[in-house]
Amino acid sequence: MLETELLQKKFKDQLAVDGINFYMEKGESIGLLGPNGAGKSTTISMISSLIKPTTGDIRLNGKSVVKNPQLIREVLGVVPQEIALYEELSAYENLKFFGRIYKLRGKELEKKIHSVLNLVGLQERQKDLVKNYSGGMQRRINIAVALLHEPEILIMDEPTVGIDPQSRSYILDMVRQLNEERGMTVLYTSHYMEEVEKLCDRIYIMDHGKIIASGTKEELKSVLSNEETILVDMNPISKELMQTLEEDDEIIQVNEIDKGMKLIVPKGSNKLTSIFHQTEAFGVQVTNVNVQVPTLEDVFLHLTGRTLRD
Amino acid sequence: MKSVLLLQFTRLKRAPTLMISFVVLTIVFVAVIGGFGTSTNGKETVYAYGEGKTAAWLDLLNESNVYQFEMITKQEAQEQVKTGKLHYALELQPNNYQFLVGTEDPEQVSVQQYVQNVFQKERQLQQISLTVDDPAAIRDQIEASLDAPVLTVHTEALHETAYTDSSANRYQVMIGMSLYFVIYTIFNNLTNIIMEKRNGTWNRIILSPVRKWQVYMGHLFYCFVLGFMQIGIVFLVFRYLFGYNNEIDFLPTIVTISAYLFAIVSLGMLLLGVASKPQQLQAINPIVATGMAMLGGAFWPLDAVSNGIMIALSKAMPIRYGIEALKSAMLFNQGFEAVLQPIAFLLLFGVICMGIGINLMERVKN
Repeated sequence: MLETELLQKKFKDQLAVDGINFYMEKGESIGLLGPNGAGKSTTISMISSLIKPTTGDIRLNGKSVVKNPQLIREVLGVVPQEIALYEELSAYENLKFFGRIYKLRGKELEKKIHSVLNLVGLQERQKDLVKNYSGGMQRRINIAVALLHEPEILIMDEPTVGIDPQSRSYILDMVRQLNEERGMTVLYTSHYMEEVEKLCDRIYIMDHGKIIASGTKEELKSVLSNEETILVDMNPISKELMQTLEEDDEIIQVNEIDKGMKLIVPKGSNKLTSIFHQTEAFGVQVTNVNVQVPTLEDVFLHLTGRTLRD
Repeated sequence: MKSVLLLQFTRLKRAPTLMISFVVLTIVFVAVIGGFGTSTNGKETVYAYGEGKTAAWLDLLNESNVYQFEMITKQEAQEQVKTGKLHYALELQPNNYQFLVGTEDPEQVSVQQYVQNVFQKERQLQQISLTVDDPAAIRDQIEASLDAPVLTVHTEALHETAYTDSSANRYQVMIGMSLYFVIYTIFNNLTNIIMEKRNGTWNRIILSPVRKWQVYMGHLFYCFVLGFMQIGIVFLVFRYLFGYNNEIDFLPTIVTISAYLFAIVSLGMLLLGVASKPQQLQAINPIVATGMAMLGGAFWPLDAVSNGIMIALSKAMPIRYGIEALKSAMLFNQGFEAVLQPIAFLLLFGVICMGIGINLMERVKN
């Protein structure tokens, strides 16, 4: 349905997106993962025709979107990262305006407004000014605006940033419903790994403007199928200990986490004994140990050497 | 375009304070600077003082349809000029006059011209009277001759004759202030474009089937209509509440206001192209608006300016041409021909600024 070919964007001398290839099939839910500055938003801006790529092409059903941006604009709904609403107007007035620019009029417009207000659960508060809404409610109206014209493709750029868990859960359920029940194609960017894991069929991982890995959740996790993750909570956190462990050839990766360290080791290598010896030697008290199969977060860490929120 | 335009009016309905405050400010400034409170029965009051046989001069001077001369004491005159309550006062002497001037006032020039004419005429009559046996008869004879002259010379100025009428000053202030404050209204509302680009609503609109030129047109037309409403309200308030009821050339007035607003909206677009942040615009707007108004003659008539550089600079200011054309249409009733040249300048100015402005804005984006 939608594909990009060697998509590149340069801002003066800075290469924001570096020749990415990417595709989406109709009805798919795609996750675009990457830390801040990875190039996700620039990629989305190019796909949605807001900015032109320096080189490369974007094709919708085989036709170039770069040459004819109106092609994608007619079938696209975009939920931007920021709350792109008129705060001094009510939710209803915002929806009415955005509906009008999508050429919706009269009864049809009213019907669509009530439909999306129901979907985001704000029917009762439609006459309230947006500036009086909570962050979560503003996010929901932000999404409602993108759904008003029933787009075939929905692009969501970190739609859950800075909101309470209840609103977040509501939004995730809503996106899943749109994808599964209405067959809407969704491109979802986030740096919350669990959101992407929950929602997306396939995932692209971006870093430094490039796609460094892609595939289904299972395919990506198989990158680390021969490894296991050991989480060690310790007191105090000793950088010297971690440096010593990094020098061990059998330990693949050591990273500091909140309460201690995360180690990736070959499956069945039985490194626990060695780790305990080292902690004792450094006078570090181990408060908890957990051995896990790799998560997408581990895959990301393995591929980029940093966490998503770095 | 219509949707964007309607949206802006919905937003205005929610926050009308700014526009209302600029209308009120215009009225207050005209009241303060134009001083419409000093007129008596439609006449401009001139304060005079003097000792001896001055009552006859006062009667002669008060034959004017324009000025009302009122006597005060010398001490009062000196005190009021000293404290700035009066810009000037007229000292009447039995056979002469002089002005006590505190600050320069263009109105004083026309008063002086009028007083000089009255004195000159009366002194000539007095001199002639000395040469005849019956002074009263010769006076009547001369008056009769003047009422039915052999030749009538009708003089008409090619360009406006500045301040031949006291109301010219009040119109100058009203027009100048209206055109000045409307710049603020337009610039402030154009800042919405930058605000929308920053909060993401602009991109949302661009991603819709609406074309970019339609979005720009929606904003620009809104500013234009708003400016028209503001100037219209101010003019109507002064016409129906404060007696600024000259007969005006309606169509040239409307066309001039339209051309002026187009020039200012375009200038606003140019500033949007130059400044990328709302804070920058908030700093630039007052400098440009006030600088342009000062140089262009909104605060004082350009006839009172003698500095060659200032006059040269004023020729690049759209407000100068707006005032010039509106005075032609509203005060001197000189018809369309008199406003064509200023309108041509305003349109040219607008086209250039709009072209550069939109170009800069789009280039910044890319």
